[in-house]
Amino acid sequence: MERCLTELETRPQDSQQLVGEIFRAVHTIKGTTGFLGFSRLEKLAHAGEHLLGSLRDGRLPVTGELISGLLRLLDGLRAILNLIEETGSEGPREGEEDTLLITELAMLNGEQGPHETEEKAAPVVSIKQQEEAPTPAAAAAEPGIAAANAQTSSSSSGDKTLRIDVEVLNRMMNLVGELVLTRNQMLQSGVESTNFPELARRLDSVTADLRETVMQARMQPVGNLFGKFPRMVRDLARTCGREVRIEFSGQETGLDKSLLEAIKDPLTHAVRNAVDHGIEAPADRVLAGKPAEGCLRLRAFHQSGSVVIEVADDGAGIAMERVLAKAVERGLVTPDQAKEMSEREALQLIFLPGFSTAAAVTTVSGRGVGMDVVRANVEKVGGSVELESKVGVGTTLRLRVPLTLAIVPALVVRSGGQSFALPQTALVELVYIPARDKEKVVERVGASEVYRLRERLLPMVWLDRLLSLKTETEAHGFYMAVLEAEGCRYGLVVDDLLAPEEIVVKPLSAVLREIGLFSGATVLGNGTLALILDIAATAARAGVKPVMEEQADETVALHQDEASFLVFEDRARERTALPLGVVERIESVPISKIEYASGRALLQYRGELLQLRDDGHVLDDMYDLQDEEASVTILICGDPQTTSSRMGIVVRKVLDVSDGNMLEKDAANGEMDLALVNERLTTIFRGFAGELGKSWREVA
Amino acid sequence: MKIVGQASEQMHEEAESASLCSMFAGQETFGIDTGKIREVLGKRELERVPMAPAFVAGVVPYRGDVLTTVNFRALLGLPENTETGCVLVLDDDSGGQERFGLMVDGVGGVVTVQQRMLEANPCTLDSKCKWLFDGAYKMENGLLIQLDPQKLRPSRLAETGMFRNGGAGESA
Repeated sequence: MERCLTELETRPQDSQQLVGEIFRAVHTIKGTTGFLGFSRLEKLAHAGEHLLGSLRDGRLPVTGELISGLLRLLDGLRAILNLIEETGSEGPREGEEDTLLITELAMLNGEQGPHETEEKAAPVVSIKQQEEAPTPAAAAAEPGIAAANAQTSSSSSGDKTLRIDVEVLNRMMNLVGELVLTRNQMLQSGVESTNFPELARRLDSVTADLRETVMQARMQPVGNLFGKFPRMVRDLARTCGREVRIEFSGQETGLDKSLLEAIKDPLTHAVRNAVDHGIEAPADRVLAGKPAEGCLRLRAFHQSGSVVIEVADDGAGIAMERVLAKAVERGLVTPDQAKEMSEREALQLIFLPGFSTAAAVTTVSGRGVGMDVVRANVEKVGGSVELESKVGVGTTLRLRVPLTLAIVPALVVRSGGQSFALPQTALVELVYIPARDKEKVVERVGASEVYRLRERLLPMVWLDRLLSLKTETEAHGFYMAVLEAEGCRYGLVVDDLLAPEEIVVKPLSAVLREIGLFSGATVLGNGTLALILDIAATAARAGVKPVMEEQADETVALHQDEASFLVFEDRARERTALPLGVVERIESVPISKIEYASGRALLQYRGELLQLRDDGHVLDDMYDLQDEEASVTILICGDPQTTSSRMGIVVRKVLDVSDGNMLEKDAANGEMDLALVNERLTTIFRGFAGELGKSWREVA
Repeated sequence: MKIVGQASEQMHEEAESASLCSMFAGQETFGIDTGKIREVLGKRELERVPMAPAFVAGVVPYRGDVLTTVNFRALLGLPENTETGCVLVLDDDSGGQERFGLMVDGVGGVVTVQQRMLEANPCTLDSKCKWLFDGAYKMENGLLIQLDPQKLRPSRLAETGMFRNGGAGESA
């Protein structure tokens, strides 16, 4: 019914059918409640029916106020229905609200004429001429009446019940039957019997099928979640004085029920943000040359094993300077860093917790309230959040969630004689530290221990100490799992790594949940139990904070990368440079490994065919040496964003890495890309994917 | 608690006799209504839960669930047993929502007792035990202390706060 009402507002031309539908729903409620003796409900429903009757007969036009009134009626009805569900009676309170609502409805009905003229200032919905339409009897009878009614009354218990395709249920039953038969055979034949391996295989396949079927049954269309947005957006748009149209696509995309619940709040938040801050006021939109009505698009689709839910608006976008200014003001980044930040990095700032407090960026630039909460919630279920924004064009927020929660890939580790599972999603990399190196690599800053990982200090957390487990005698060394969750990055030290496994998450009892460090438990392949470590909670317990400085460090490093050059020699006596950002690796390759196809030099590199550029004719010189064992230095270059356009550059010698400044192109230096690196003239390597060159040139 | 009341009413009706499963912890013998016991798992190695309250012995897999297991010795304040204990699975009356395990030293058998043999806790008993025990049956070969599984529920134990650091240093 709610859907019908909002639809009615957006598509007044279809009103005949829709009003008919709503009318019938309200009528059914009225009839049923009258029959069951809920007089309060009946009275309310009657008032609504009366109003709808006028609407249906074409005596009233469809207006925003009218719809609002009807929606309030719906809320009133729902409140009473909930009350009935809880207490079994509609409550003795012959509330003022009811009378108020009834009078309001009556006013909308009777005094529509003068009321309308007074309220003309609110032109939210174009007043369509209802009169145009002929006044036929109710439109084609639809079987939706009972459903609409049932939906209204069962909305609150909807969280606990699930509608499943009968076919899926049948298939499940069949598989269970098969499972029982296989079990019987196994019990009868025993382990020694010859056909045991075959039975085990069958058990395996039946289990896999059953698992798949159950998963399928748990899948719910995302549309169920989208369903509540039209109403919310409508109400919100009215309070914020916006005009918003909402569009959906991919409602049928399936998502695990528990995940659907988990992303409900983040998604609601995102939608609210988009309406509140993303889409501008109608007047501003017109000024910007856009239609007064903003458009909010909700899209769901599958992408490489996960479900992506996109909230896109065509609003003002996020003003980068404002975000940066705010970040500097809040001390999240230094002014220098801010200056060097790319758009993408600046957008990431929005997810920092410091940005979420009230009176932050929201008032000036748009988004930001609780974006860190959105991210935390989505990450909790193993998903991720991306944000894209173009000033004046709009903002797109992408929530990426796994298909299912119940089974997650995890790495099983051992510490203090116990097994723990670390979700793979949080795992960045693994470092092995041999016992003899321990003293060398574990450094101390005050009381805390850190590890130097690629010239960045990583706080180390000893799992056995954190959980006060018995420390085992270090035999060979230990492993450090580099974990990242909710912006925290730390190294978790464990005694040993076991196999990666797909684990089935089992909830823990309330008492154990209270500990706050474990998100569940699982039964491992060998039959023992392992606790699943909550990565973010562990970080919090160990005192690892989502440090801004750390991230700032990273960005600084990145910027230095972009502004610095790798200087090498390809043509004899000439210095050439490449921005460091595009150089992935420097490889030394035996000359015999280089192959030729139709005159071009190629290198097989990590299962990929790499084209080689040899501007300095290094290869020819090498062949002249007649040395089979000789090797050349090749720079493996690639666009850091897309891995597709990799290529190799053959060089004589790598000279240096240092910062440099681009020289202005002018006639004097013959339109060449020149730069001063270390006060020496250096040519910038040309011909590397043009776009790339442009992007770094801007930085340089 | 409502259901416990019903159960005791039933006992009155059914010739005032009840069947208890006897179990041992330390020097004493305890009994739990057989109707509340779902299964006796026998000796089991438990997976310990670090940082858990002292009365939690660990977790044990049971029919696809992970059961929190209460260490009965810890409740009594006895030192930790060197041998592995026996695990019983107890059913919660509220629709199996909170099934849990109980670890004791050993499990005896089913004993039929007469309701009139039950005697209330002695007034000298310390408060923890007074709360845990439901009185004792005077059997021929000693006393059998009746336990109420409802009170042994981990969440209930946590609520009381009495056993948070109860007994010997259990948390490993």
